[in-house]
Amino acid sequence: MVSLFKESMIVAVVREITTVAGAALPVYESFSVRRCRYMPEGGADKRVCLASGIHGDELLGQLVLCETAQRIMAQPENLLGIVDIYPMLNPLGLDIGERMVPVGTRLDMNRSFPGSPDGTPLERICHQLIEDMRGADLALDIHGGTQQRHALCEARVTARDPEPLIAIARTLNPDLIWVYPDRIAYEASLSGALCRVGTPSLLIQSDERGDVRASASRITNGLFSCLKAMGLWAGEADAPAASIPCIRSEEDVTRITCQRPGMYVPQDCIGRQIRAGQLLGRVIDALEGGVVEEITAPCAGLVFTQRSYTPVYPGTMIARIYARRNEA
Amino acid sequence: MKKDILFTVPSYFRGDMNIMSYRFGKGEKSCAVLGALRGDEVQQLYVCSRLVAYLREVERDGGIMPGKSVLVIPTAAGFSMNAGSRLWAPENMDVNRRFPGSPDGSTTSRIADALYDRLRLYRCGVQLTSFYQPGSFIPHVRMMDTGRQNPELACEFGLPYVYVRHPRSADKATLNYNWQLAGTQAYSLYAGKTQEIDEAAAEQTLRAIIRFLNGRGIIRSDTTPGHASSVITDSDLTTVSASSAGLLRRVKFAGAHVRRGEQLSFILNPCDGSVRETLKTPVTGMLFYVQDGPFIAEGSPVFQVLGSAKG
Repeated sequence: MVSLFKESMIVAVVREITTVAGAALPVYESFSVRRCRYMPEGGADKRVCLASGIHGDELLGQLVLCETAQRIMAQPENLLGIVDIYPMLNPLGLDIGERMVPVGTRLDMNRSFPGSPDGTPLERICHQLIEDMRGADLALDIHGGTQQRHALCEARVTARDPEPLIAIARTLNPDLIWVYPDRIAYEASLSGALCRVGTPSLLIQSDERGDVRASASRITNGLFSCLKAMGLWAGEADAPAASIPCIRSEEDVTRITCQRPGMYVPQDCIGRQIRAGQLLGRVIDALEGGVVEEITAPCAGLVFTQRSYTPVYPGTMIARIYARRNEA
Repeated sequence: MKKDILFTVPSYFRGDMNIMSYRFGKGEKSCAVLGALRGDEVQQLYVCSRLVAYLREVERDGGIMPGKSVLVIPTAAGFSMNAGSRLWAPENMDVNRRFPGSPDGSTTSRIADALYDRLRLYRCGVQLTSFYQPGSFIPHVRMMDTGRQNPELACEFGLPYVYVRHPRSADKATLNYNWQLAGTQAYSLYAGKTQEIDEAAAEQTLRAIIRFLNGRGIIRSDTTPGHASSVITDSDLTTVSASSAGLLRRVKFAGAHVRRGEQLSFILNPCDGSVRETLKTPVTGMLFYVQDGPFIAEGSPVFQVLGSAKG
């Protein structure tokens, strides 16, 4: 435990690093999930958990959480509640850039919650994480972009009782809020499992397209806006945008897939309002030297997910477009 | 026998991946058998290939009962098998976590949809599955407790045990779970191994399927008598987990009868060979599952013992 004192020894923040979940591995190593807690000296009632790295190929959360820690340490007098930071939920996957947990048969950690106290090592770790985060006022699961697709800064909340989470999501100042369908797979995610035990949780994701520092700072700024709105931060924070698009119905999401295999060459449409019929990208064939498919937007709207330059199969998702079907 | 292409996934870099189906007999869709859904399910593919060969002879000899039909799909993971990947590599997805699938969804979702669309029409379904941990099981039939399961019918496989398991969250996107919800009597058979061919276990699994098809009046074929099956649930199994990590040295194997307190395995320091832990059984019974990987992480389930705390 380390105490960080600020000016005349009056204001202090206690910083404590703890291993909250883990399992010994066969050859002198541990799968350890570590948490760094920042707490005003004397304690606090409110607690927010910030997690990242559940998918080993998503690295943006490392920079986001490092910036968050630095800002807290620079202004400890402004911290009014407990901030628990879990940067590396899947340390083995992060080490080799592997999305899954690279032990045994490679399972997706974000499909393994709520875990079990007497299950496999991964199930035990997931259970320990849920127990550690349970009871927090908020848990945020920070995801990054992947090589396969670009996304806006997006907050996802579960469709089960979404309104309180939408209110929190707005304070994060994302480009978009998506009330995500409460599908079966969602139950097995970290956010879904926490919501099921009564701990408010949502997922925020962005990608490091272009300037990674700008992408990270965007999320970090949103985190401090959220902390301030929740009464955990007394320092300055950005005001959320007056209007943030919120997808409340699946009818408002158009998923565009390709029908032919090939290499997909995207037009840069991410974050843009496009019109119906506008070109999204082309599927090309280098062997025969031609374009095998031109993919156009079936409707006007905001492109909030876009496939990057990758091989595609029939059914590969090219883009998601948000367009309200029924104006309120 | 009628051989069809059930679904095709065209590829840019490679040839088409065709999911092949083999149908025997005509009429009622009586039973469907699915082999590999993942790229490492070699044993499952092998059992299905043996089943296709066997049913071809049965059909030639007039042994498919009038008005009945059997569908066999040996693999839906040919691309992954050829590339040496357990999952569908382009999406890093497990097809057996995509059911019921969607015709307009991602590639894996389309594969799941194409399979489900055909398989749900059958009265009975058999999936040859693998376990997500390396290990050996006592031969058994497995099904999830969906409220629609029929364990009595599963006894017709003639395997020693019928295991009704409580589903977890992630299980609800599997074929077995959704197949049952669609009204098919769906069963999972563990064919012993996964990444290698085990002839004895393959033979036993093949005989169980043939016995089931005979018992349901779908085929007429010589079969050896099976076991009188016992129906078990999660509460009948006691898990013995490692509290330390290292190399696993087993002294007891699947099927062994053990008495409470008996040594089952040692966890060894991987560098100096000293014993870090001795695993003992807390109950008297039979070893239902034994982990057979060389490495053990802390907390790994190593054994499941079927038996009571008495004795």
